[in-house]
This record gives sequence, structure tokens and C-alpha cells, in this order.
Amino acid sequence: MSKKPVFMPPAQELRRKAVNFKKGFRLKLEPEELKRLEAVVEKATDQFTVEVAEKLRLLRSALDQVALGRHGSDQAMQAIRGASLEIKGMGGMFKYPLLTAFAKSLNDFTKDMGAPSPIQLDIIAAQIDALYVVMGQRIQGSGGKIETQLLEALELAARKHKN
Amino acid sequence: MSEDMADHERIDFSKISFLVVEPNRLMGQMVRDVLQMLDAQYIDRARDFDTAINVLRMGRTDIMITEWALSQEKLGRDGMDIVHWLRNDAGSPNRMMPVVMMTANSEEEYVCRARDCGVSEFVAKPYTVNGFYTRLAAAIARPRQFVRIGEYFGPDRRRRRMPDYGGPERRVMAEAI
Repeated sequence: MSKKPVFMPPAQELRRKAVNFKKGFRLKLEPEELKRLEAVVEKATDQFTVEVAEKLRLLRSALDQVALGRHGSDQAMQAIRGASLEIKGMGGMFKYPLLTAFAKSLNDFTKDMGAPSPIQLDIIAAQIDALYVVMGQRIQGSGGKIETQLLEALELAARKHKN
Repeated sequence: MSEDMADHERIDFSKISFLVVEPNRLMGQMVRDVLQMLDAQYIDRARDFDTAINVLRMGRTDIMITEWALSQEKLGRDGMDIVHWLRNDAGSPNRMMPVVMMTANSEEEYVCRARDCGVSEFVAKPYTVNGFYTRLAAAIARPRQFVRIGEYFGPDRRRRRMPDYGGPERRVMAEAI
């Protein structure tokens, strides 16, 4: 393996194919263009609600499976990690940054976690409940004082009981 | 190119063939809708490693947009594996293809891992449309030089030029340790 870097000039094929001075979008979007693109996200808000509801059901069902110690609880834990990561990635795009924050908290807590202890199960359940509350109450933005305190309390508990 | 000229550059997205690798239905659809709004005509979609590799092998993709975490049914094969394949496999159709990684794995350790795997641009989810567009446009219109050092092959990870830097060559030293 070479220890000295070998440099190659940037590939220009794509640039030659698509970049010009006449047709298309500037590298910095005009405000009107940006508005049109943002409208695409807004239009998907209803689907977002459906998608999150589905993920929340999956989280509850996976947690039940883990709690009962059924066969396949490793996969159920993986499902919890996967669903929480997806919710984390979606929330803030649809004006639900608090949802992203709770989902991040859940994802961080369960990352690298094996079979959870009873107290860890309680924390996961509380984190999932918090996600339900945010969606059930349609809490957009970062929430108020109570939500901030709840998030802090859950993060504190998660830090304390993380493996 | 002068800055003035660069200000007038445009990207004709209708000429570009995209591959969007995204296991989440909604997020995949949103990327597709945004690309279509930009007038993109050719958009392939995949939800897992195998499908993505099959599409890439066809050789029609100009740029790939991929999530890190892929379908849970195919554990162990994620977006990083696709990037690694694209950059290093003898069967890769274009080892210098721009790759935009969009992921909720947004913490610094993941950004560094993505960079060290050869990702061109990184978009942390949740993202803004403008943030996504800016990185996509950079990947297309501002391609970076590539570098091979040790086992790494990918875009030059140094974005800043420091012509007056007089210290040791850390890139070589790091490899030699």
C-alpha cells in the first residue's frame, strides 16, 4: 500500500454533462425555487403522520416482544433501534424537532444494547410513550417547559442506566 | 473560472441519472419528488444493498444518494458497504462517482466514518431542502480531486488549501504509524 498520496484530478464527466449557463437551476437557489421545493416537504406532512404512527406501533410491539423475552428479541431490539433512527431523521423535517429529540434519546440509549434489564425496559417504554405524546398532541417545535424537563429527565435516566 | 462566471452556472438536472437508496418509503419518495421538481428525469430507487449494487452495475448512474442504515431484513449490509464497493471493487462502474450520504446517523463520529469511506457530501437528517440542494449541487458542479493513500480511495478529505503550511505532512505520517 502506498504511503504517499496519489492525487487524481476531479472527474469532469458529470459536470460537462449537466452544468451550463442557460438551462437549469443555479447553484444557489432563488427564493421562489426554494419555496417550491419546500412545498414538496409540506405536501408530505399527512404521509409523515401515517408513517410515524406505523413506526410507533412497531416500537410498542417490539418492546412487548423484548419484555416477554420471546424468541427473536434480538431482532426486536434491532427493530427498536431502526424505527427510532427513522423517526429521528424525519421529525425535524416536518416541524417536529421534539419528536426527533425523543427519538434520538431512544436511539442513543438502545445503541449497542443487548438484552435490556427491567429498569432499561422501563426507560425504553417511557421514551416510546413520550413519542406517542408528541404525536398525539401534535406538539410542533421544541415544546414547552414540561417537554424540556421530560426530555432532560429521560436523558438523565438513560445516561444513568446505559450499559 | 472567475467568481462572476460561477455565479451564472446552472445545473440541468434532466441530464443526470440518479440512484436513490433509501429504505424508508416516505423519505425515499420525498427525495424523488424534490429531484423531479428540479426536473430530474432518470431516478432509480433501491431499498437495500443488493438492489443498489445491481442498479450500479448497469452503469447508467451518474450520482448516488444513499442512506447509511438500510433495510432491516438485510442486516450487515448498509449504505457504507455500497460506498465501499463503489470506490474499491473491481466491478465498480465508476469509482469516482459522486456520493451524497443522507442519514440520521448524524453525530461527528459518523460524519468522520462516512468521510473515511469515500462519501463526497454528507447530509444529516432531519435536513432542510436548501441544505440538501446545496450539497447535491456541490457534488455535481464542484467535483473534488481524488486521492489514493494506503487503503483509502475517494475524494480528497482536505477541503481547505493551506499553501503557507510549513509543518510535517500529516497525511503520510498518519499512514506510516
